Amino acid sequence: MLNPFRPEPAVIKEIKKETHDTTTYTLTFKDANIQADYFFQPGQFNMITIFGIGEAPISISSDPDNRSSFQHTVRHVGNVTNKLATLQEGAIVGVRGPYGTGWPIDLMQGKNVLIVAGGIGLAPLRPVILHLIKHRAEFGKVEILYGARTPNDMLYTDQYADWSRQDRFRVLFTVDRITGDRQWPHRVGVVTTLFQEMESTPENTLVLTCGPEIMMQFVVKNLLQRGFNQQQIYVSLERRMNCGVRKCGKCQIGPKFVCRDGPVFALAELAALPEETLGGVAIE
Amino acid sequence: MAIAKHLGFNERIGIGSLALLPKDHLYDFVDQLMEEFVVVGPVAKGSEFVFSEIRDPEQVRLDYETTILPPKKVLHRPFQTLFSFREDGGITEEERINKRQVLFGVHPCDVHAISILDKAYGSEYPDPYYMAHREQTLIIALNCTQVGKNCFCHSLDTGPSLKEGYDLLLTDLGCSYLVEVGSESGTGIVERTGLALAPRVKMVEKEKRLDNARKKFRKRLLTQGLHELLEENFRHPIWEELIKSCLACGSCTMVCPTCFCYNVVDKIDLSLKSGRRQREWDSCMLLEYAQVALGHNFRRDRDARIKQRIYHKLLYYEPQFGTLGCVGCGRCISACVKKIDITEIIVRMRGE
Ligand SMILES: Cc1cc2nc3c(=O)[nH]c(=O)nc-3n(C[C@H](O)[C@H](O)[C@H](O)COP(=O)(O)OP(=O)(O)OC[C@H]3O[C@@H](n4cnc5c(N)ncnc54)[C@H](O)[C@@H]3O)c2cc1C
Ligand code: SF4
Ligand code: SF4
Ligand code: FES
Repeated sequence: MLNPFRPEPAVIKEIKKETHDTTTYTLTFKDANIQADYFFQPGQFNMITIFGIGEAPISISSDPDNRSSFQHTVRHVGNVTNKLATLQEGAIVGVRGPYGTGWPIDLMQGKNVLIVAGGIGLAPLRPVILHLIKHRAEFGKVEILYGARTPNDMLYTDQYADWSRQDRFRVLFTVDRITGDRQWPHRVGVVTTLFQEMESTPENTLVLTCGPEIMMQFVVKNLLQRGFNQQQIYVSLERRMNCGVRKCGKCQIGPKFVCRDGPVFALAELAALPEETLGGVAIE
Repeated sequence: MAIAKHLGFNERIGIGSLALLPKDHLYDFVDQLMEEFVVVGPVAKGSEFVFSEIRDPEQVRLDYETTILPPKKVLHRPFQTLFSFREDGGITEEERINKRQVLFGVHPCDVHAISILDKAYGSEYPDPYYMAHREQTLIIALNCTQVGKNCFCHSLDTGPSLKEGYDLLLTDLGCSYLVEVGSESGTGIVERTGLALAPRVKMVEKEKRLDNARKKFRKRLLTQGLHELLEENFRHPIWEELIKSCLACGSCTMVCPTCFCYNVVDKIDLSLKSGRRQREWDSCMLLEYAQVALGHNFRRDRDARIKQRIYHKLLYYEPQFGTLGCVGCGRCISACVKKIDITEIIVRMRGE
């Protein structure tokens, strides 16, 4: 019987520092056959093992059309992710996946797309952005709203020029605060402040959002007030995960297993659940 | 299918056949099973009972009401090594070849619980560790003619009698056990142990004894309208009371035959070059269960954790696995030092 808990060795090919606490890793499976067979949907995640430390669910952040390697953008916050920060190119990590639901690429065909991301939440949305660029003709207008804590916390800064240059693409930025005497031509404030200059309307539009849960709560509330409905808003949730395959129970919210029924959910799927069940992040 | 010649008439033994196991042959029967299988059955431990590997047939105690832990522990082990690893990513999987085992004397509620675990671990990405144990396991079940003080299986239709999920099913008829055959493997055991076939009328006696047992239940959990009841009472005052009394110790989930949650840890050997990945039972009642990086916790409030257990058992298993998550074994009631009682919670909600 196949063992879904067995990670496959993958080699770190490239390491790129995004910010002081976040790094993008380019990986390939050691076994060329496994790499050749591997593909994923934008929004799906892998379980990443550092042997002896543990496993962590991490979204795949690269172009889904690239079959020769894949990327993870990781914020170093705990045991596994901090250990990852110490590894060099050529090091081996364990990978299994891809798991979970992806963003609704099929439903997005012919529609406008509004992307709202906060912090590391841009990582699971980057495959979507790369897909939208590559298959530009299949989609309507694209608007990307991205918020980070400070300008120094922004991911993929070298790619914004390319994104903004695309036909019918609009990219807006905001930060919570500016550090030092840095020049900042964009907005200051939480991500919802960008709604003031947003062009997207509920009409023929799908919304994809990922970020801290408290941010998503505000984003959702605000969008609903602006006439968007629960069927057109998609959120990607984060929960504790120890298996990724609907076995360990950890990721449950109500009857849903976030690892399998999500992490991407249409808001309508979650709306029926009592708010406490969703357990928005409590920060102490 | 073999012919039972020793009875002097030709009757085929097969699924649905009846046989008799005289009580004074019980130990011989277990002894015969032990030649072929690892036998795990109920044994006394102090004033209580536990499932344990049988070393001496005379240890077996079929007069038990309930065991501290359910027989789940031999299928979904409290600790299970998943694999060993080396620093370079080399992996050696745990051997999953186990000797065939018989779970002996399992009550109907626990058989139902195993069929729920089969769904949880067997569906999509089957769990190879659970499945390896499960595929090697035969179940010789035992209908309940005794009723424990916290049992309420009768109201969930998970006891005191069993309809399916067994290889053999015993019912205490006084001087002997009626043996019902539920599978090909069960047929084989009846043949090899040479049990005498029993006439159909024995079923009448069985039903009489079970009806008698049905009258002894002191607790119940009515399922009619249960979903609506739970959905409407997410903010019932009972939850406030429970936060005050519940210690969030996790005993209730540790003894529950249908709980499947686990945590995973890596253990490093002294060499620091190799180690094992291991899983261990976990409980949604514990604070760390839903904790993630940087101290965020999705169920920090005890209120949320208490609700998770009750709502998972009584509301969410249904969409997940097509069945209620409680089988009415009463263990969580017995295990709770604060006497928190799942049936009482529902009684209170119903305002009875
Ligand atoms: C579907 C999904 C996608 C994610 N994608 C990304 C991503 O692209 N980039 C990124 O940087 N982070 C991502 N995360 C968050 C990431 O999983 C956590 O930051 C990481 O697990 C922290 O592990 P740690 O060992 O470093 O932290 P520790 O705090 O040391 O972890 C201890 C334990 O908690 C668990 N744990 C801790 N935090 C989380 C968490 N947030 N979610 C689930 N389990 C957790 C770990 O598995 C471990 O068992 C994602 C989480 C989920 C659920
Ligand atoms: S919830 Fe309690 S009574 Fe129900 S199956 Fe679990 S331990 Fe038994
Ligand atoms: S979520 Fe809680 S009640 Fe449900 S199976 Fe896991 S430990 Fe048991
Ligand atoms: S992560 Fe284990 S069930 Fe979802």
